[in-house]
Amino acid sequence: MAQFVHNLTEEVPALVNAAVIYSKTRLATFWYYTKVELIPPTPAEIPTAIQSLKKIINSAKTSSFKQLTVKEALLNGLVATEVWMWFYVGEIIAKHGIIGYDV
Amino acid sequence: MVPPVQVSPLIKLGRYSALFLGIAYGAKRYSFLKPREEEERRLAAEAKKKPDEQKRIERELAEAQEDTILK
Repeated sequence: MAQFVHNLTEEVPALVNAAVIYSKTRLATFWYYTKVELIPPTPAEIPTAIQSLKKIINSAKTSSFKQLTVKEALLNGLVATEVWMWFYVGEIIAKHGIIGYDV
Repeated sequence: MVPPVQVSPLIKLGRYSALFLGIAYGAKRYSFLKPREEEERRLAAEAKKKPDEQKRIERELAEAQEDTILK
């Protein structure tokens, strides 16, 4: 019994330490990618965004979207789907539940 | 490690605006549905009252008859 307690007090700090270091490195990699990829658009980037939107509308008007390869079109479809899914994520946040509204 | 991808501003704008639109839509719909559900629950409670009343009457009648049988 005493041996068990002794082993416990020796190993638990080591385990806790390992867990902390593991989560710290993961957090660091997460932050590294988030800082570049997930930040909201700065006000300076909005004109660029509007330009891209105009280009897309233009390609729809002049039928130049038919020049896209199927692979490109599929990728665009995936990206559009991902953007639309954020709408549902927002709805989930607002209704405080995953499926259905809370009665 | 792979360097982080430079996301196009249109996609970033689209993501965040979709998120906020979703939150606004969810909040509006919730506030629209809440009084309706309370109204429905009130109606259901009232609709339950009559059958409950009937059951209570039947139960008391059964007890009254049972008394005479056991005597």
